[in-house]
Amino acid sequence: MGRYILRRLMLNVVVLWIVASLVFLAVRGLPGDFVLNQVATNLELGSNEEAIRVAKKQLGLDKPLWRQYATFMGELVRGDLGTSYQTRRSTWTELGERIPYTLELGGLIVLIAFSISIPIGIISAVRQDTAIDYLLRGFAILAVATPVFFVAVLMTLVVLKYRLFTIDIVNAPHFWTDPKSAFFKYLIPAVAGGIAGGAGIMRLLRSQMLEVLRMDYIRTAQAKGLRERSVIYRHALKNAMIPVLTVMGITISGIVGGQVILENMFAIRGVGNFLLSRLVARDFPPFQGTVVLIAIVIVTVNLLVDVLYAWLDPRIRYS
Amino acid sequence: MAQSDAVSILPESVSIEGGGRRKGFLTHAVRFARKRKLGAFGVLVVLFVLAIAIVSPLIQRYDDNRQFQSRNPNFQTSTSSGGASILEQLQQGKSEKEIAEFNIDRFEAPSGRHWLGTDQFGRDIYARVIVGARLAVLIGVGASAIAVVAGLFIGVISGYFGGAVDLLVQRFVDGLQAFPALVLLLLIVQVMEEPPLWLTIAGLGFLGWATSVRIVRSAVLSIAQQPYIEAAKSFGASSLRIMMQHIVPNVVAPLIIVFSISIGVYILAEASLSFLGFGPADKTTWGKMVNAGRNAVDLHPWEALFSGLAITVTVLGFNLAGDAIRDELDPRLRGR
Repeated sequence: MGRYILRRLMLNVVVLWIVASLVFLAVRGLPGDFVLNQVATNLELGSNEEAIRVAKKQLGLDKPLWRQYATFMGELVRGDLGTSYQTRRSTWTELGERIPYTLELGGLIVLIAFSISIPIGIISAVRQDTAIDYLLRGFAILAVATPVFFVAVLMTLVVLKYRLFTIDIVNAPHFWTDPKSAFFKYLIPAVAGGIAGGAGIMRLLRSQMLEVLRMDYIRTAQAKGLRERSVIYRHALKNAMIPVLTVMGITISGIVGGQVILENMFAIRGVGNFLLSRLVARDFPPFQGTVVLIAIVIVTVNLLVDVLYAWLDPRIRYS
Repeated sequence: MAQSDAVSILPESVSIEGGGRRKGFLTHAVRFARKRKLGAFGVLVVLFVLAIAIVSPLIQRYDDNRQFQSRNPNFQTSTSSGGASILEQLQQGKSEKEIAEFNIDRFEAPSGRHWLGTDQFGRDIYARVIVGARLAVLIGVGASAIAVVAGLFIGVISGYFGGAVDLLVQRFVDGLQAFPALVLLLLIVQVMEEPPLWLTIAGLGFLGWATSVRIVRSAVLSIAQQPYIEAAKSFGASSLRIMMQHIVPNVVAPLIIVFSISIGVYILAEASLSFLGFGPADKTTWGKMVNAGRNAVDLHPWEALFSGLAITVTVLGFNLAGDAIRDELDPRLRGR
């Protein structure tokens, strides 16, 4: 197991190098750059050739591509995610302000997703082909097909129409500074994201539970007189959860990647919004750095899921 | 004619009823509908959306970009209003709407003239939803087809040859999958200032390509172990022949499944892209409509409501149909 993890870690370094190179090349393939963007929006710079040249030199955009690449890689190896062209602050500082928002929203989304999908998945399987199963399955199928932003729009419609509460898109409260306004700020995006995130888990858990409940050892457990509760939770659920873990891992990775759409809709100053704004501004260093950081989280979560697999199912042996 | 000839030369024993193995399409369809009611419902929805997409120019009633306006009944020319200029009339406390000769029919509720109402620019929402259907189908089916075909080619080559090619492809796929998907998509479509439709489709296909390569490769790896591949090699068959004749036909079934269950995912992804403002330029898409309609959704809900419903119903149809096709072809893939 130790050797397997070590090998995976080394493989992940290669994967991260590929991600970093891809994002480096991709952003430079985009039309326009930061300085030209500034010229277009900032009249002070004007279209003065000399000013543009100086600005590019300051940012290092005049250097050949391979030099920029070497600088970027050198910084990454030292754990430096670059410095923003726009604010001249380091990406770490910028992210330090934004990660809390993403974690607040993301944490709520994961919490809601898991706490609706796991009970629904179990009930739906245990009460297979009853009215409640049809109802819950219908909900899950509908939830998979509905875009997350449409759920959020529908909820907004209801909240505004019946004046339940005001939706604040100006302030940026944290749960630890202003819990009440933070609750109302995050309520709609968290529920919308939770439904979208939980939909896939519900359906997978149901089909896995049905498969496991048909196994011989479940019949044995029932035959020896174990309580229904114990059979379902101790014997069936534990085994049914193994494939579900992958999907849960994907849900978590997606959240760390920033809920670009929900953060954008509700003006939450999180990582997703940061990525979007840096891309539009052609502010390459923080964009590249953030993408690499997200990739690190994604490959780490994937590795954790695989290790957890082996721990939950001792039959799985990695070599 | 030719068909009836063909039937007449069939001996009695292998006639369509007698054989039992060769059932007509209709028999299959009825059996499928009985066994998989949800799937049959999904197929019906898909056929409905496809029909709309195909005949959309005939049924959209109006051009999707036409701005409707109506003549102001109280309009007074400068002579009839006693020579007062527009500025003077405004100063008299009249609203712009009272002065103008024509007013845009914005935010109208559904009516006989505008079945689903009008949007903020006075455009017919029904016409725009209908036009959006063609785009959604084109994008979903197009992206899925690209993903599957590219995945087939590269997956077969990677799995069959192994070695350095395989290693390179696999690490590249790993890299793509460690990218946050929406960010990767944004990077691809932003390559052009005004992303045309084909770029959106290609971008989505590129994103899905990584998944289908994985599936094809693992199928190829297990097929390559089979004795009949060994036999073909011993007869001196070329690599190309082995791949085309013996391997490709065996990975078609999983690919049909991947193709049909991912159409809905691509439609959703494009809707997200359009919603964020990065959709195909100059095209009326459902995602753009939800975004435009959400600003005053409590006062004028029609645009966001109908376009959002269109996305949901379409994706629901493709998902249900895809699930049923998967269960029919290979129940073991359930839930993957």
